[in-house]
Amino acid sequence: MSSDLGPEPHHQPPVLPYAEAEELARRHGMTQVAVRPSLGSYIKEIWLYRHLMWSLAKGEVVSQHRDNYLGILWSVINPILLGVAYYLIFGQLLGLSRDVDNFVAFLTVGLFTFSFISATLTSGARSLLGNVGMMRSLAFPRVLLPVVKVISEFVNNIPAFLVLVVIALITEEPVTWEWLLFPVALLIVVVMGLGIAMLISRAVHNVRDLANIVPLITRLLRYVSGVFFSIQVRFANIDDAPRWVGLVLEYQPVAVSLTLVRETLLEGFELRWETWAVAAGWAVLLFVAGFVVFWRGEGTYGRA
Amino acid sequence: MAVPEAIGGAAPTIDGERIPSVIVSHVDIRYRIYGSPKRPEESEEEGAVRRLLSRGSQAGLGVQEVHAVKDVSFVAYRGETIGIIGRNGSGKSTLLRSVAGLVPPSSGTIWLGGRAALLGVNAVLQKKLSGRDNIWIGAQALGLTPAQVRRRMDDIIEFADIGDFIDLPMSSYSTGMAARLRFAISTAVVPDILIVDEALATGDEHFRARATERIEEIREQAGTVFLVAHSRKRINQLCTRVLWMDGGRLLGDGRPSVVNGLYGRKYGRHRQVWKERYEEIERVMTEQGPEAARELLRRWEPEGNW
Repeated sequence: MSSDLGPEPHHQPPVLPYAEAEELARRHGMTQVAVRPSLGSYIKEIWLYRHLMWSLAKGEVVSQHRDNYLGILWSVINPILLGVAYYLIFGQLLGLSRDVDNFVAFLTVGLFTFSFISATLTSGARSLLGNVGMMRSLAFPRVLLPVVKVISEFVNNIPAFLVLVVIALITEEPVTWEWLLFPVALLIVVVMGLGIAMLISRAVHNVRDLANIVPLITRLLRYVSGVFFSIQVRFANIDDAPRWVGLVLEYQPVAVSLTLVRETLLEGFELRWETWAVAAGWAVLLFVAGFVVFWRGEGTYGRA
Repeated sequence: MAVPEAIGGAAPTIDGERIPSVIVSHVDIRYRIYGSPKRPEESEEEGAVRRLLSRGSQAGLGVQEVHAVKDVSFVAYRGETIGIIGRNGSGKSTLLRSVAGLVPPSSGTIWLGGRAALLGVNAVLQKKLSGRDNIWIGAQALGLTPAQVRRRMDDIIEFADIGDFIDLPMSSYSTGMAARLRFAISTAVVPDILIVDEALATGDEHFRARATERIEEIREQAGTVFLVAHSRKRINQLCTRVLWMDGGRLLGDGRPSVVNGLYGRKYGRHRQVWKERYEEIERVMTEQGPEAARELLRRWEPEGNW
């Protein structure tokens, strides 16, 4: 095969030694490509690209709903159908509805909030590897990719969240001032989701096999986070369980998020400062950790 | 201290004032490819079980590395139009993506003196979104503010020349239409470094003419243009310098006629003739010394600097 080819040139093109190249670049004030910017300039860069972030998020939402007749209606229909199924299986068949006063509202708040959190996990995991093509065509701070996923998932879920308010009204929850905290609680959950998405996207980018575990993680979280049962009530029924296990189950990020949202809409859940402090703490912690972890990988994304 | 001598004998230096726009120094790019473990030659007797077992024991299960760019160095200056030649899969696109800051090099360093914009056939726009939505995303990724995008929207649409399709999803576009849109977006901002990756191959005659004009404009504004093209004619028309990528290595760097000539020796019609000539030179070199070899070279390459 190679015997069919002609000769290669005698001389290799001349090469500037690295030190001289560096000196030349320095003298002309050139900037190095694909290096991690300092944290400060990374944040500044994100600010410069904020408009792009909205365009990308809008595009994400549009393209998700373009392919079917009912479009964005599906983001209401799906969770409601899921809610009905859960109500029948867990509420009636397994009798979990005895746990709490207003099981329908309890279940739907938990389910819809959890759907959003699990969506940030799944689409956050795909946000880098699913966009390699885009990363190889456009230059922008890569952190926008997981962030945009979370924003678009939130927008997708807004109709579902409005449905929650309607369900609360239908099931005769009294309208109180606490309802005003509903959006605040959602905001805290979004911040948490951003942190989760940034963490998982870098993890999956580095070790892509992790993507296979993500569905398992979301499934497990769905079962341990008290989506369709009250952790407190169920745990009180187990006599010899150590107390700290109950606390861990109750205050892990996902479970505490569900409680947080329930406290704003449901009368059976009083506002407790512990819930809010822990939830806000998780949100800040996950967000900061996620951002720093993601930033430290900037300059490596796109080669995989 | 003056700017160092021209690297690779590119466009003639008028004075010592040439300003570098891209410095590529000892760049290597390795890709990880998943799900395709390298298999040793298998003999027929090896059963399926054996194969299954041996698969697990191989280093880097299911992961293979592709060394796409091997130790490439060059310096590009403002005002140059640089053609990149090489066969398919020789690392041209990968190298240029790296120059555009889109694919981080595995080792080595790239410096840019300005902003790079890449457009290529492979540049991914969002298929499900309309052309207009894609202009928003693409133009903002190039650093335009929403106000600037709004102001240039009509220009971009006009240059792309795709009519009513602008509000239809990109999935309904023909290859040529998509290429025109990409070109229009990438040149909406005059970049300091424009990288055109075979995008002109798909357009029609009229579009190619206008694209050529725009490339000229950008070069006149002291930019640097990189151009991947398979047509020797286009390279000779447009470029002041040519880089030859071969199997990930940079084999040639210089005036188009010279590098095209070298390329032709390896792949052209007379490759066998040149092979014999080179062997002859080798032989003469060892038997009669360098002076005789140089004599031969002068005969075969009258234009060479021996």
